[in-house]
Amino acid sequence: MRRLLGTGLAALIVLASTSLAGCGTTSKPVNAAAAGFGDNATGTVVFWARSDTITAATPLVKEFNATHPHLQVVMDSIQDTQAVTELATAIRGHAAPDLVDLNDIYMPIFTQLDAFVNLTSAISALPYARDLSPGHLTLATYDNQVYGVPYLADLSVLWINKTLFRRAGLNPADPPRTFAEILTDARKINSLGHGISGFSFAGDCSGCLGFTALPDIWAAGSNVIRGPVDHQTAEVAGNPAVSSLLTLYRTIWSEHLAPQSDLTDTGATWGNDFAAGTVGIFPGGYGTVINEVPAAKRSQFEDVPLPGPTGGYATFDGGDDLAIPAGAANASGAWEFMKWVLAIKQQDQLPSFGYTPVRSDALTPAFERANPLDVVALRALAHGVAPATTAYNSIFNQAGGPWLNMFDTAVFDNQIKPAMAAGQNGFDQLLTDEAS
Amino acid sequence: MAGAITARQAPTRRAARADHGAPVRRRRSGLERAKARTGLLLVTPAFIFVAVFVLIPVGFAVYLSFTNYPLIGPDHFVGLQNWALVGQDATFVQSVLFTLEYTAIVTPAIFVVGYGLAVLVRRRRRGSALLRTLFFLPYVVGLVTESFLLLLELQPGSGGVNAVLHALHITNGQTAWLVHSNLALAAVCVLVVWFASGLTMVLLMAGMQGIPGDLLEAAAIDGASWLDQELRIRIPLLRKVIAMTLIISVVGSFLAFNQFYILTQGGPGTSTDTVVMWIYQVAFVQLHLGKATAMSLVLVVLVGFISFVQFFALRDRKA
Repeated sequence: MRRLLGTGLAALIVLASTSLAGCGTTSKPVNAAAAGFGDNATGTVVFWARSDTITAATPLVKEFNATHPHLQVVMDSIQDTQAVTELATAIRGHAAPDLVDLNDIYMPIFTQLDAFVNLTSAISALPYARDLSPGHLTLATYDNQVYGVPYLADLSVLWINKTLFRRAGLNPADPPRTFAEILTDARKINSLGHGISGFSFAGDCSGCLGFTALPDIWAAGSNVIRGPVDHQTAEVAGNPAVSSLLTLYRTIWSEHLAPQSDLTDTGATWGNDFAAGTVGIFPGGYGTVINEVPAAKRSQFEDVPLPGPTGGYATFDGGDDLAIPAGAANASGAWEFMKWVLAIKQQDQLPSFGYTPVRSDALTPAFERANPLDVVALRALAHGVAPATTAYNSIFNQAGGPWLNMFDTAVFDNQIKPAMAAGQNGFDQLLTDEAS
Repeated sequence: MAGAITARQAPTRRAARADHGAPVRRRRSGLERAKARTGLLLVTPAFIFVAVFVLIPVGFAVYLSFTNYPLIGPDHFVGLQNWALVGQDATFVQSVLFTLEYTAIVTPAIFVVGYGLAVLVRRRRRGSALLRTLFFLPYVVGLVTESFLLLLELQPGSGGVNAVLHALHITNGQTAWLVHSNLALAAVCVLVVWFASGLTMVLLMAGMQGIPGDLLEAAAIDGASWLDQELRIRIPLLRKVIAMTLIISVVGSFLAFNQFYILTQGGPGTSTDTVVMWIYQVAFVQLHLGKATAMSLVLVVLVGFISFVQFFALRDRKA
């Protein structure tokens, strides 16, 4: 009896192991270059939309379904923090949706594993292919093949409060263009007192700091990660641009130019103080402010390019890419919806949801008149940068990651050099882990 | 049929084995065989349940720990590589030590507070039912909800904790509790003791109410003080219940995740990363499932060992 039980148990374990391990086998391939792909599709498209940008997806899907009776999009929301795990698990379990909306920085995790439909030929056939956001496309590209299209852009800019600038004797038409000017202007605004701060940032939000501070480094022509996705190295220790950035924030903090609550801001209240009119200078996204301030009160604010230490500018090419998981049941329907979303009419709606179009040809005089605060971001689109690394989440988005650890140690503990050395080790470790 | 034993041969062979000192197997009656079959039939559902939900997952986990299992795509056998990486992972070792420290702080505190509360409410008096409910309420509300509440109340400048401390002139009201590892650990420990003491109270109270009253009465007549009664009568008789509460507490503390994930996210840096948080990080952020599974198996062995030691130390020696 014992032998029988033992044999049965061993068989069950082996059976489970082999069947579960076999879940990763690939599904039938989809040919995006086939004639008629994405035209007059029928049925339903199961669409997983990113929760953080659901304000844009919801009305777009509603409008699409109302105008396309032959093809209906069924939308589900996936939490941004769980998106990679949920999608990967679904792909392994052959339960992936037809279409997925991902934070663009997560794209390299999937593209290098051949998990998405190759859309290279379909994208190159689009008449506006050249105008699509290069940063988004870079993240969707692996081995010269493109596995996703840009959907919406969330670009970082430097916001200023024109009212506070004037009260401090500054000219809002002459915004800060270097780190030194940021400090000078922040000091003057801070001296207004009565709860007014010169500057504000989310000190405990790793992702927010990556989004707003990395462009300062890129604007100096530098970077903290170099090399192709599977052979990357870190350039943190001894990097003058990183040192300048940390010194800027350290000075802001030590001179009390930012609110004390910035120390513990995990991003939950990010930008609220600026939207309330109590902060002079605020690096953030176009939507960070637009979504917080009623249209009638936006005239006191203006956004300008994020500067480098001594000039120049850069922006984090954040936002979303759309991709079709390999083995999608209705890939043709998904591509039809993607093309519809990329049309200028739909892209022009994005600023009202707090996002920027992903087509630089959307920048027309009419667009400028309708969305004056989104012009800086859209102009920067063609020069947007986004780090293409599978370790982005581990390095830049996690509370315990080396990026936030370095920032905290340098800015709040005043140990810039040791922080950079520790940052170098932390970056190297995670990049090595990814490559192995 | 060459190797089959016929009914006529069998006794002869048994006799031969008996001659050489081998155990004699008595032929089972039909009733005994039926009983054995019934017994097997009755345990089969439980066995299938355990096999499907425990043994197979553990077996699969062991398999995963020897592969580079990705969430997407094929996996490859990597031998002992994951196990070697576990030992080299400084953050894993640090998180184990931090979890031990956390467990060592909260376990005695939960027991002492829970025991004190049980002493307060063990007798049926006016208001004791209300007190029991109030003390048990934090456990019912749940740690996740309470962690989010505390997150708001610990905010510098706006949180209730800082407001009270400022009003009492103890701090300036700007203490950033969750960005300093010691303060963050203290805050989480206070929260968990408040949350978990109610359960310990209920378990101990039930045990205390099961102690025969005449024993305590006899002790009182013999001149035993209240403290003597607690130390020499109640605690020895509560040995099994105490063992259970301590094991629940230690295992719960060792698997701590929610409170730290919500309140500190492991920060500053990785200083408040518990072992489960780090395993989660390796598995679902770094996407190294093989290594994370190896870490999980190390944790299973560690918790199993600690539980065994507790069982052994607190076993009923008379049994």
